[in-house]
Amino acid sequence: MCANLGGVGEKGVTEGGVIEDFARLFGAELSLDERFVVKRGNRYFLLDEKLKDSTDKREGWLYSGTYLGKVEGQSFHPSFPLLFVIAEKAKNRITVDDKSAWLFVCGRDIFKEGILKIEGSRRKGAYTLVFNRHGECIGYGKIAKNLDKLKSGLAVKNLLDIGDFLRRERTAVQEA
Amino acid sequence: MAYPPFVLMFGKEFFVNRYRLLGWEFRDVAPKQAIRINTMNVGGFNVVERLESLGVKLEKIPFLRDGYWVIRSDFSVGATVEYLLGYYSIQEAAAQVPATLFEDLRDKLVLDACAAPGGKTVQLADLMDNTGVIVALDVNGQRLEALMNQLERCRVKNTVVYQMDARRVSNLGLKFDRILLDVPCSGNFATDKEWFKRRTLRDVERNARLQRQILAEAAKVLKADGEIVYATCSLEPEENELNIDWAVRNLGLETVEIDCYGEEALTEVFGRKLDDSVRRCKRIWPGKTQGFFVCKLRRRR
Repeated sequence: MCANLGGVGEKGVTEGGVIEDFARLFGAELSLDERFVVKRGNRYFLLDEKLKDSTDKREGWLYSGTYLGKVEGQSFHPSFPLLFVIAEKAKNRITVDDKSAWLFVCGRDIFKEGILKIEGSRRKGAYTLVFNRHGECIGYGKIAKNLDKLKSGLAVKNLLDIGDFLRRERTAVQEA
Repeated sequence: MAYPPFVLMFGKEFFVNRYRLLGWEFRDVAPKQAIRINTMNVGGFNVVERLESLGVKLEKIPFLRDGYWVIRSDFSVGATVEYLLGYYSIQEAAAQVPATLFEDLRDKLVLDACAAPGGKTVQLADLMDNTGVIVALDVNGQRLEALMNQLERCRVKNTVVYQMDARRVSNLGLKFDRILLDVPCSGNFATDKEWFKRRTLRDVERNARLQRQILAEAAKVLKADGEIVYATCSLEPEENELNIDWAVRNLGLETVEIDCYGEEALTEVFGRKLDDSVRRCKRIWPGKTQGFFVCKLRRRR
């Protein structure tokens, strides 16, 4: 459910360039305005001028603007709004059929048989965004086997999908 | 209404009799599930057509711009890709009314004083087209998690969230253009099968006191030309007409005419005459929707 960045990376507006490095995993270059990227605890948020002004003067907020993701140890856990921003620029993209898209949203991996289109890297270990046939980003994963040679079977390991919202709700209900 | 000490102030018969005295004959209702389209996220396509292509039968709610009743669905509409992508929210029809009562929300500083779990916060952001700023408060940390998940799912960009009691909002040092008070209330039987077993008049009176404290704090942080929308999903006049009557008499506020689903509110409650302007509020008895009460207030001019 996260990308291990190993603490290395080019400099960016976030500490150690953590968000920019994450975007580069998909072949996307992000240009975040450092004035408006705010770290709160281990979470990053992108604010606009009005929100920045308001939150600068009033401490104690929990969430503001666009949530970008959080850092836990050496791992970065992206938010979905960040994935959608990256999706506009990403080179590594896989488009899947309806059945595979639904299984992916349920937390399953992607099999070669369900892939409609591959763009960008096809090599094992590369990160790729996953799209449904409507062109909507539904999560991301890691290519499990070299896709050029693969005829069938496991192709992309699920690392994060939008079904996560439902799993969070279930966890919250269980904890209540 | 002062009850003699021997009257049992709870139970279905007690409350049903109160509703009769207020002019409504009790009947069991089962409001349909409703959704609201998040127009800010669906610029390029028709999400209703897309849901219908999946086999979901929807019906436009006549009194709401973006609301649809779910007439039939073979699966949970809370587990579709379209829902997870923030194209719509699940929001009961009457609960969609309050946020639509504000005038001109764009670029405004808006307070959502009792915001969790966030359905109306997202609706406000949608009506504002993600402009301006929403300050969303709630006291309950667990419910705030649900709120923040909603903001992320629905790609809301203009909201700042604080864990804060609405009765302390003046500590933020802000004056607001618009204030939504979807206050904690006793609820109603239409959405809670155990309601008559769980609720007593004591609960209602306790909630009414809390609501007055929130109203008083909101009046302090309202800009001179600002608007407050007050809403409850309670049928009990103590939490509705009686509170607005109190606010009009004590907080320098006045009610504003609103054009929305619902009946003119009561101006006489259990023999007590209220300020005539309270009739401008709307009371929604359970039927097609759950029970609800909405009202718009501004500074007396």
